[in-house]
Amino acid sequence: MSWLYLRKFTLIALGLVLMVFAGVSFFESRHLKEPVVLSRGVTQVKKLSAYFPGVKGTISDSNIYVLEGAKPGGTILILGGTHPEEPGSRLTTWILTENAVADQGRVFVINSANRSATTVTRLGGGYPPDFTIHTKWGEQKFRMGDRWSNPLDQWPDPEAYIHYPSRQELAYVDIRNLNRAFPGRANGTLTEKTCYALIQLIQKEKVDIVIDLHEAELQYPVISTIVAHEKGQNLAAMASMMISGTEGFSIGMEYSPPALHGLSHREIGDHTQAISLLLEAPEPFLDATRGRTDRRLLLEGKDEFVVKAGKHGLLFEKMDENGWPIEVRVGRHCSTILQILELWSEENPEKSVIVKGVPRYAEVIEKGIGNFLHDPAKADPKRVYYE
Amino acid sequence: MVVTYIIAKVLKVSTELSMFAAALTGGLAGGVGIPARHIVEGAFTYLDIILIFITATLFMNILKESGGVAFVVRGILKKFFRRKSILFVLISLLLLLPGALTGAGSVTVLITGGMIAVVLGYMGISKPKTAAIIFILAGMSAAAPPVSLWAMLTAAGVNMPYVGFFLPLLIPCLFLSLITIFILGSRGKPVNLEKALKELPEAPQKMNWIRVSLPFLVFLFLVLAGRIWPHSLPVVGLPMMFMAAAFISLLLSPVKINFLKISRDTVHQLLPLIGTLTCVGILVQIMTLTGVRGLIAITTVTLPLVAVFITLCLVLPVSEAVLMWGAAPVLGVPLVLLFNTIGLNPIIALAGMSVIWPLGDALPPTAIIGRLTADTVGMKEPYSELLKYCIIPAVIIMAVGTLMVIFSKKLAFFTLL
Repeated sequence: MSWLYLRKFTLIALGLVLMVFAGVSFFESRHLKEPVVLSRGVTQVKKLSAYFPGVKGTISDSNIYVLEGAKPGGTILILGGTHPEEPGSRLTTWILTENAVADQGRVFVINSANRSATTVTRLGGGYPPDFTIHTKWGEQKFRMGDRWSNPLDQWPDPEAYIHYPSRQELAYVDIRNLNRAFPGRANGTLTEKTCYALIQLIQKEKVDIVIDLHEAELQYPVISTIVAHEKGQNLAAMASMMISGTEGFSIGMEYSPPALHGLSHREIGDHTQAISLLLEAPEPFLDATRGRTDRRLLLEGKDEFVVKAGKHGLLFEKMDENGWPIEVRVGRHCSTILQILELWSEENPEKSVIVKGVPRYAEVIEKGIGNFLHDPAKADPKRVYYE
Repeated sequence: MVVTYIIAKVLKVSTELSMFAAALTGGLAGGVGIPARHIVEGAFTYLDIILIFITATLFMNILKESGGVAFVVRGILKKFFRRKSILFVLISLLLLLPGALTGAGSVTVLITGGMIAVVLGYMGISKPKTAAIIFILAGMSAAAPPVSLWAMLTAAGVNMPYVGFFLPLLIPCLFLSLITIFILGSRGKPVNLEKALKELPEAPQKMNWIRVSLPFLVFLFLVLAGRIWPHSLPVVGLPMMFMAAAFISLLLSPVKINFLKISRDTVHQLLPLIGTLTCVGILVQIMTLTGVRGLIAITTVTLPLVAVFITLCLVLPVSEAVLMWGAAPVLGVPLVLLFNTIGLNPIIALAGMSVIWPLGDALPPTAIIGRLTADTVGMKEPYSELLKYCIIPAVIIMAVGTLMVIFSKKLAFFTLL
């Protein structure tokens, strides 16, 4: 009998030790403060709840960084962190918010579109809790995040997710996927409310173009591409042609499928005046055949198993021993955004959005992402915000 | 990891602890030490499913304690004891419904399995055969639409909407369920009603169809309401739906039930299943972290295509036996991407795979649904007897599932109906 109690006590004690160590790690992840040193071009920092009070006081009340040029022009919204497990997306918005200056028009940037999803990592996915970018002044740590909102913020899931308003049936877990919940509902789940708030922002600020930044596994056919709503097909096609000719990398263009609901490139275009575009860059970390799941794979994008899958013709993007480093992925996003803005401004002079200070593809690769992140310790505290 | 698992099993350590030991070894061998965060995170992977198990079982245990189960079994026997074919079709539908709605074969076993086992028993069908029928139909119910977790998890993994799966899943599941019950139950005799009713426990005097059916109707209403008015009602979730049904059953019980005792007994009854699911989650997490999962996936998808087709019917059940639903993200995702790349229809191919996967739920090391079925039926024979009677229907299911994958392009019209 005493042996039984001793065994039970030992197992409980070991369980408690595990829980304490894990609990500390979970707490730190959820509360990690990610500094944003505002670029001199950021004229205002708003909250998402300013457009829809339904998200006020929730984790989804994200920061909105507004860069307003001296000359009036068009308005663009850039969404990072729709899927926080795609770090190239958030890091691109960091470069924008810390470096960009608008000469004409307005640029709205959201670094954590689904902030709840930045606070959790994939169950069963073996994700690292965070990753670090090296800079001249030290290191900056970022949360890893997941594809879906944190169950701590939105739970339980339904037995079937029926999208609003199309009534299309989607995987139940996608009720927590920001890119399956557009256009959202005012009285819906937290994820739907977040989408609704974003739609309100787009409508109230008369946004002309929304660019949603993503990364994709190489086994996914929609990769290295601009997915465009009908309204943005010409713009996307032109951007694709120009980039392939001038930037040193290729990017395709695909039509947003009209029957596939909940995605930003479909619903924002359908439910608002804005042109909706979604950019995909390759991220081997997300591939199901990936090997060791760690920070190195996340940032360097090198994996021998994914290379092997490529050799067997199983990938939709090339993959070799050079992998897909984070600089390449972020550089692609930066150049694609700039190219879209330049083409838009040429075609719509009265709605031009002219931005400077943002590095292009070659410069991001040459100097590294850390070169464009600024030291929060040396910045004016009033110009430092936290994600 | 494999060696640790085998050693643990040889030392007669339970399946769940053997998996946990394998996961710890995997972490140490993979150079990540004992990663507390990953162990705890992995342990929570199947929390929702565990809650469904607990609440559904609590509901069934209350229904049983109240005399409802005895009442239903007696009722079915009185009505259909002479007509075997009709009885088989009704039994199939009764077994398919709970799993189809919840996506969990265990719910079928727990909700209707016990009652059906008694009916089949009085038809002279042996317990291992009865267990095989209930196990196979529970598996088909889990694969059947509207909720098929293997299809949903895989579809989510390849960013494919869970649309167009209804008929590609419904037709094979229905067909294979009927084939199974008619093959295994072919020697079943018409029930000797008098004898059966004499041997069955009496239902409490005040028990009636309203008291039995109302909890099920409440559950069905909550499921349907969530689908009909999804945007007007809050998200309830399956565990809460089962709890609502359990409370209705408790309120309507003609006999007094000690709720705390029955809750405690339910958790005690399910502890091995909960432990297995928890440890499967930990194992999958460590396998992913260390790259073992990727190794398995890349090895599978780079096999010659003919070998993939030939081994599909074995690889899927084995992966299910080891990883349970974890098999869908581990193997299902790369396989569907492979099939998509070579021009097959991913929806039909995935539906074919989803029909084969549940067969693994009878195989060690987990054998969760198989063990649960054997327990529910009250089988005293060795577990291998259940497996023996599963062989013929399993071969048919494997053949149908594999043919669906191979000819998925030609069957693509089912996705449009």
